[in-house]
Amino acid sequence: MKQKDLWEKRVFVILIGLVFMGFAFWILNRRTEAPTDIGIDRPVVVTTLFPLYDMARFVGGDDADVSLLLPPGIEPHSFEPTPADIVRIGEADVFVYTGDAMEPWAKDVLSGTGRRDLLAVDASEGIAMRVGSDGDEHGHEGEEGMDQEDDADADLEEEEGHHHDHGGLDPHIWLDFDNAAVMVRHVAAALSEADPSHAAAYADRAEKYVSGLSDLDRAYRDGLAVCKSRTIVYGGHYAFGYLAARYGLSYEAAQGFSPDAEPTAKDLARLVGQVRRERLSAVFAEELSSPKIAETIAAETGATVFELDAAHNLTRDEAEHSVSFFDIMRRNLDTLRQGLSCE
Amino acid sequence: MGFADFLGFAFIQRAYLAGSFIAVLCAMLGLFLVLRRFSLIGDGLSHVSFGGIALGLFLGLEPLWVALPISVAASSLILVLSRRARLYGDAAIAIVSSSGIALGVVLASLAGGFNVDLMSYLFGNILAVSPVETYLSVLLSAVVLAVIAFLYHDLFSVAFDEEYATVSGIRTGAVNILLATLTAVSVVLAVKVVGVMLVSALLVLPAVSALQVARGFRGALLLSSCIAVLSVLVGITVSFLADIPAGGTVVLVNLLVFFVLLAWKRIR
Repeated sequence: MKQKDLWEKRVFVILIGLVFMGFAFWILNRRTEAPTDIGIDRPVVVTTLFPLYDMARFVGGDDADVSLLLPPGIEPHSFEPTPADIVRIGEADVFVYTGDAMEPWAKDVLSGTGRRDLLAVDASEGIAMRVGSDGDEHGHEGEEGMDQEDDADADLEEEEGHHHDHGGLDPHIWLDFDNAAVMVRHVAAALSEADPSHAAAYADRAEKYVSGLSDLDRAYRDGLAVCKSRTIVYGGHYAFGYLAARYGLSYEAAQGFSPDAEPTAKDLARLVGQVRRERLSAVFAEELSSPKIAETIAAETGATVFELDAAHNLTRDEAEHSVSFFDIMRRNLDTLRQGLSCE
Repeated sequence: MGFADFLGFAFIQRAYLAGSFIAVLCAMLGLFLVLRRFSLIGDGLSHVSFGGIALGLFLGLEPLWVALPISVAASSLILVLSRRARLYGDAAIAIVSSSGIALGVVLASLAGGFNVDLMSYLFGNILAVSPVETYLSVLLSAVVLAVIAFLYHDLFSVAFDEEYATVSGIRTGAVNILLATLTAVSVVLAVKVVGVMLVSALLVLPAVSALQVARGFRGALLLSSCIAVLSVLVGITVSFLADIPAGGTVVLVNLLVFFVLLAWKRIR
């Protein structure tokens, strides 16, 4: 009797196991089927970061189906793709990412999809990235200005060099508009490859975007030519290195290339010292994140907090109003001109 | 830059001040929580407040005012689950805290994203405490100290032997709700001021260290508070001298104190 009970149990367990295995196989098979044929013939483009999305959206126009992986409001440095995101990448025709420094997970995801026909675009290809190695990465191109008043300040200057730089690469390449132009052309080339019938249209729109970028570049050059102050003190992670270097500004940030490392008391003291020494009237805060660090520096020095948006991602409101990269960068120019008291 | 310059910064003064008061607050509550096997409630409730903040944003209400009642409810739920459903305290905390995260993640997805990065708003940094938050932490510590002073006997009895306390006429239900409410409010606000890592550590480490050597319960309360305040003061100072993050340093100083007291107890 007992023996029989035991047998029934075993059979039951094995049956349940088989059902689960069948279910698992079904799911796995379902995933690998039919990857591409979504929509009519339009290439499906998945992008990882807002600037890339904006470029692909513009270049693709009505001929491509472009989407952004990041949900609005999410800080991209801490972003990891969900299983559904990986499926989306696996089902796309073109996948555009900023590079290994910004999306370290991209390589694994790509090899995981097992698709050979997926066009993966490393938008940073051919772009010389700024390296965080020595004091230089702080963007002291501009004037060091303002006579050093005492030894304490000299000490601070010395200490600057070994912060922030973890020997890594600065992934915020899109904030140099020449780099942005290179990225747009990468996107256009990939779209043309995926959908040769519209190649001319893609190339055309890409050139329009590039000329928009050079207009923007001119506006920045003119707008930031004569300013009372040339120092951006930033209570966030080191995102504006490219922009500062391009327009001869000096740039000091509380954190490194990624916002995960907490700033230390010395980091804050260094920034406070800088604001006081150069009598700066503005401290800049990061988009999307809490402005607490910038507010602390501002409260200490009497400076005003302005938000400077590195365009990593949009807020939900901005996404609903389909704000463009150009909108954000023009707003930044206004903010900078106000904060740095430009002529 | 010398140490005197360092002390001249208002944000450093606020860090010392707000940090010390939150340290006392956490150390006192922590002792009751540790004795009742709710050491991880700090982590648990910070996860719940993540869900609460997401709910607030989703409904378009002021996030903190949604997060606070939800955390109080969750904190009571943890107590009720562990008593009525005969769950271990750690399992009850795990259930409630993962549900909080789940709620937050699902709501964030339903809302199609938010206008801010939730995490950065939820978690404070001891070096970026605002003047208002400093007053708030002083006020909160005063309230908790007053409650503990007035209801010392009841809290003490319930912490050590709940059944005996019930028999001897203490309204254990009310005491539990009170403790749950104080804990939830303190955790949510303290996490916003100094960050989740520091709050969880300050709830547990000073209490455990004090229990190694203290003779009576009063002694443990006092010692726990002293250890917490000392570790905040020493931690911030060391973090400046060594140029390392302040929150982490405070936790490590706490850990060091714990090991020293543990060793001392064994030698003695």
